[in-house]
Amino acid sequence: MAAGNFMANEQQELLFTRIFDAPRKLVFKAWTDPKCVAMWWGPHGFSTPRCELDVRPGGAMLIHMRGPDGRVYPMTGVYQEAVEPERIAYISAALDEKGIPLFELLTTVILEEQGGKTKQTVMARVIKRGPDAAPYLAGMEVGWTQTLERLAEYVAKG
Amino acid sequence: MPDTLSITFSALSDPTRRAILARLSASEATVTELAAPFAMSMPAVSRHLKVLEHAGLITRGREAQWRPCRITAAPLKDVAEWVGYYRQFWTESLDRLDVYLREVQKKEKQHGRRKLHGK
Repeated sequence: MAAGNFMANEQQELLFTRIFDAPRKLVFKAWTDPKCVAMWWGPHGFSTPRCELDVRPGGAMLIHMRGPDGRVYPMTGVYQEAVEPERIAYISAALDEKGIPLFELLTTVILEEQGGKTKQTVMARVIKRGPDAAPYLAGMEVGWTQTLERLAEYVAKG
Repeated sequence: MPDTLSITFSALSDPTRRAILARLSASEATVTELAAPFAMSMPAVSRHLKVLEHAGLITRGREAQWRPCRITAAPLKDVAEWVGYYRQFWTESLDRLDVYLREVQKKEKQHGRRKLHGK
């Protein structure tokens, strides 16, 4: 069983950490080889009929995810970083459950060796779009904290 | 398409504004009440309230003197929904990645053994 958790940290990013019982090189390949990515991308019951990854800064990613009901959810992104075997970053549009773009998201994947295993951190940060995007694109993050998580839970119940 | 979730996230990016919302999730409050816990001028608090109001996260009463602030659930609900969806995407994808990595390594091992037997 992989150790995993989900949290919103103080730097206001969404974080997913896992330890995989696999060498880092293999995990990196699982993230960068389109055939491998297609094997695991998406929630349970989803398949990946199309997966094209040009893994280098400025390179494009195109993934079509197909849900159990046959509906296809296209996803496009642009790689920002690709450092074998430790780091990948890409910007993609965040989509809602209907596949409608909501805003842009910078996702960073960090792989660290840990006694023959691999510690993986997936960080996501919302990037503001629109006319007042400049300060955000300059590196100012927008996001969540524990407070927001609690608030979100509060209103979800109400 | 109006990028409403971005506006919500932007409004929520400030710790003071999140604290104001947390306070308002307990009950409605006036600007004076909201300013009390912060070492901040009333105009500064008012500016934060304007951002929250613009994002549709709060509404303000019409009574000229008091104008009590109330939290509005809808945009936070959108955020909660999206966060929930996103959490599910990664949790389940990474579960599948875990299974995939195990299978690949198992196959490699079996393949390696067969090679040895073949010699």
